[in-house]
Amino acid sequence: MTMSFRALGVAALVVAAACDERFPSDGAPPSDDVLLRQTLNGYGVVPIGPVAPQEPAMVELGRALMFDKVLSGNRDIACATCHTAELHATDGLPLAIGTGGTGVGAARTLGPGRSFVPRNAPTLLNSGIGLFYVFWDGRLTRFGPPLPDAPVPLFGENLVEAQALLPVLNRREMRGEPGDVDVFGAPNELAAIADGQSEQVWQAVMQRLLAIPGYVSLFRAAFPTSSPQTLSFRDAAKALAAFQVAELTKTDSPFDRYLRRDNNALSPEAKRGAFLFFGKAGCLSCHNGPLLGARDFANTGVPQLGPGVGRGAPLDKGRGELQNFEFYAFAFRVPPLRNVELTAPYFHDGTVPTLEDAVRHYSDVPKSLRSFDPSTLPAQFQTSYHGELQTVDTVLRTLDFRLRTPLNLTDTEVAELVAFLKSLTDPAARDLSGIVPASVPSGLPLR
Amino acid sequence: MPVSRRTGAGLVVLTLSLISPARAQLIQAKTLPIAQGNQFQIFPSSNLGMAGVAVALADSTLDPFVNPATGARLQASRFFATPMMYRVSQGTGGGRSLPLALLGRHADWYGGLALAVQQVDPSRPPGFDGIAVPLPGGGPIVGPVPGTGTVIPDNASHGNQYAFAMIGRALPRQHLSIGASVLWNRLHAVDGVDLLYANSRRVEQSGDALDLRIGALKQWPRDSAAGAPRSLEAVLLHNRFAVTHEVTYLDAIWNPITQQVEQQPRIEDNYDHTNTWGLQLNYQIPLGARGWRIGWLAVANRASHPKIPNYELANVPALPRDPGYTHAYNLGMGISRAEGSGRFGIDLIYEPISSYTWADAPVAIPTAGGDTIAPGGKTIENRFRFSNAWFRIGVEDAVVQGKPTKFQFGLILRPIQYQLERHDHVQLNTRELSASWWEWTPTWGLSYRQPGFELRYQGRATYGAGRPQAQFPIGVIDFAAAGSALLAAPNGPLLMTDVTTVTHQISLSLPLR
Repeated sequence: MTMSFRALGVAALVVAAACDERFPSDGAPPSDDVLLRQTLNGYGVVPIGPVAPQEPAMVELGRALMFDKVLSGNRDIACATCHTAELHATDGLPLAIGTGGTGVGAARTLGPGRSFVPRNAPTLLNSGIGLFYVFWDGRLTRFGPPLPDAPVPLFGENLVEAQALLPVLNRREMRGEPGDVDVFGAPNELAAIADGQSEQVWQAVMQRLLAIPGYVSLFRAAFPTSSPQTLSFRDAAKALAAFQVAELTKTDSPFDRYLRRDNNALSPEAKRGAFLFFGKAGCLSCHNGPLLGARDFANTGVPQLGPGVGRGAPLDKGRGELQNFEFYAFAFRVPPLRNVELTAPYFHDGTVPTLEDAVRHYSDVPKSLRSFDPSTLPAQFQTSYHGELQTVDTVLRTLDFRLRTPLNLTDTEVAELVAFLKSLTDPAARDLSGIVPASVPSGLPLR
Repeated sequence: MPVSRRTGAGLVVLTLSLISPARAQLIQAKTLPIAQGNQFQIFPSSNLGMAGVAVALADSTLDPFVNPATGARLQASRFFATPMMYRVSQGTGGGRSLPLALLGRHADWYGGLALAVQQVDPSRPPGFDGIAVPLPGGGPIVGPVPGTGTVIPDNASHGNQYAFAMIGRALPRQHLSIGASVLWNRLHAVDGVDLLYANSRRVEQSGDALDLRIGALKQWPRDSAAGAPRSLEAVLLHNRFAVTHEVTYLDAIWNPITQQVEQQPRIEDNYDHTNTWGLQLNYQIPLGARGWRIGWLAVANRASHPKIPNYELANVPALPRDPGYTHAYNLGMGISRAEGSGRFGIDLIYEPISSYTWADAPVAIPTAGGDTIAPGGKTIENRFRFSNAWFRIGVEDAVVQGKPTKFQFGLILRPIQYQLERHDHVQLNTRELSASWWEWTPTWGLSYRQPGFELRYQGRATYGAGRPQAQFPIGVIDFAAAGSALLAAPNGPLLMTDVTTVTHQISLSLPLR
């Protein structure tokens, strides 16, 4: 009896040794959400946190400054003229129309003797969430050594504040030309200051502002420890930045909710578009990171339009126009994409009117550029198109290598990509009428 | 360190955390070969070293804790102290328990009390170093060290408490006994749960489990020629398990204020709730006069899962699930022989399980086909079909005939096989998955019995399961510094490191006079 039990025990151990085998499991593809989240994580596409709360008094001062034409030399254009609330903090035009123009939005027309601002007025939506570069050529940046062409020395590393200093210096945008008179027929004292005298221009603007009792009160509330004598236009720029951060940060899109782990925030079509965006279409190679872009430059083969910039005029070489950046010929800042649905027309010169057209452009960039039809532009811009074969060839010569092979997107794929891009829209950005003040301290008309 | 590459698609842990004091009354559906410590093996047993065979062989020590009616077999009151410890290899987990139990009898009445305290170590992935992750910019503090600005991984052991009470009465005229028992657990640590939340920094568990049983034992009059009498056991149980997992993750987030990608704690509460009704029948009859017996076992469980945690495993997509239910069965037979100092037993059990879980739409959800799933509708349906089995064989005999020292050996084989069919009503697709693996457990034991005490050591080592490897977020931490480099998205099989779970139990039994 005992021996039989022992034999059984030995047999059990033998069986155990024979069973040391692993049985692999058969796999099934993971769910779309799992794959998409892994992809997003891999490309640094992470949720955006809250912006810093802004002082209400600063925001109110910034609101007044944003909508007040008194900042312009001719008292005929405000920041909000090219960044109008009705058009989601842009102007709906291919190229901005600065001082001397009339009307607002897409109906705005060029004034006599004026020329277009060379580039599209980018939206101010989300300008306060941390852009790496400002302006289409990225000449304002926190990274690397100061550019030789940097328009202002940075202070406090706040690009939004720095950016707000510049339009009042630009003759085409807000300052005006020597000899201009303002809307009341008075001489334009800002335009009379020589180019390069930035501090004098800012001082002159501040003299205008502090001559208006309403601004004295607003500045006093925003800067209670500063006397009027010590205030500068940099303080006005801080207020403009505070307004942008407080009122124009719109980061609660369906895609943002998806990033915050709500799998149902995106429609199935938008998810398919996301897979294309981060897959076959290769959009992610530029539009990656938390902001889906804004940190790179690319020559995307965009048609040339407008008066041009600098030495390259009448062409616009973009970042390649900056000293020591010639390598970037025709390369422009990759824009961040949140709320892109609302900010047509697209690209640095607004030559592409719809989101679908923008996606189709990327499907075959050389073909798109060569076949560009200027009649799709508003009438006043059509004669500014530079469609000569030599110009097209010049642009394509330095086309970003990632865009040289056609994607040949199908109509369905284009629609899915557009659906994904529309999922980047914060519903709160659709109607910005609430940010418009009833009036401004100067008493100038808002429109 | 052997590593198994499991194709990581759709594997989920369905119901990991059933508190089962022993054997098969509560059937566990396990969908991932994750090694689990034997932390719930807290009661004394006479058969543990012989694989816990039970279908045709009584376990005079453990049976009263399983079926309170079997307390009628008590010959005398006894006190048990049963310290137990287990260790999962590769430094991936462990625990220790100190149960104290008292079984007593007075005339036709009998009863028992048991208390146990337990300490369970955190379940770490192999190679995990437990480094605290600093929060750039001094983010919110999560962890036991205030003021450090860090999320501290929970490396401390946590305690569980168990309390058991049983009462029953023998009805000699009817050859029947009946009993009832209650087991209450206060739980702060269920082994392996930490590993089911990949990339988490802390998992704090808190909950209770309650196990209520009524049992009956019918023993027909002994036929002297046939050894032990014919018997029928029945147990009806209700088990309620409710544990909350407070899981702390560190998420990458773009901070507009500092204009950097930072990490931010995110705390998710996951509720693991399962209510189970179960019925077990066990019928044993003697075979001939040489100590052979044959037994049949039938167990049925109906478990409802009001809430199943959303586990996340490294590289393994979690299946969305909210509620669900499971039907599980054991159909088995066993043979045994007890003669002289020797005992031998074999159990063969077939374990079919079907489980149905789903995810509810919290809001109206558009589908790929253009329809809309109304709030409360099912977005995902998962149907599991298990065909598991148990094979247990064990033997016990005297080391030297006539001496009070006995040895035990045994082996448990557990093949697990299941198929999953998943319907995604949003994406309008169906996916199928099949998975299978074996777990095998050699057991051993040594006992020494004197009239004044019995000392028993029993051990077991479980092979065939593993611990998931550590997987940390691959998101770009310092995005600005990363330049234009593109980092590949992780997508691959689940990596499991094979581990061995070794359990040691020492049981001291003292008769009370």
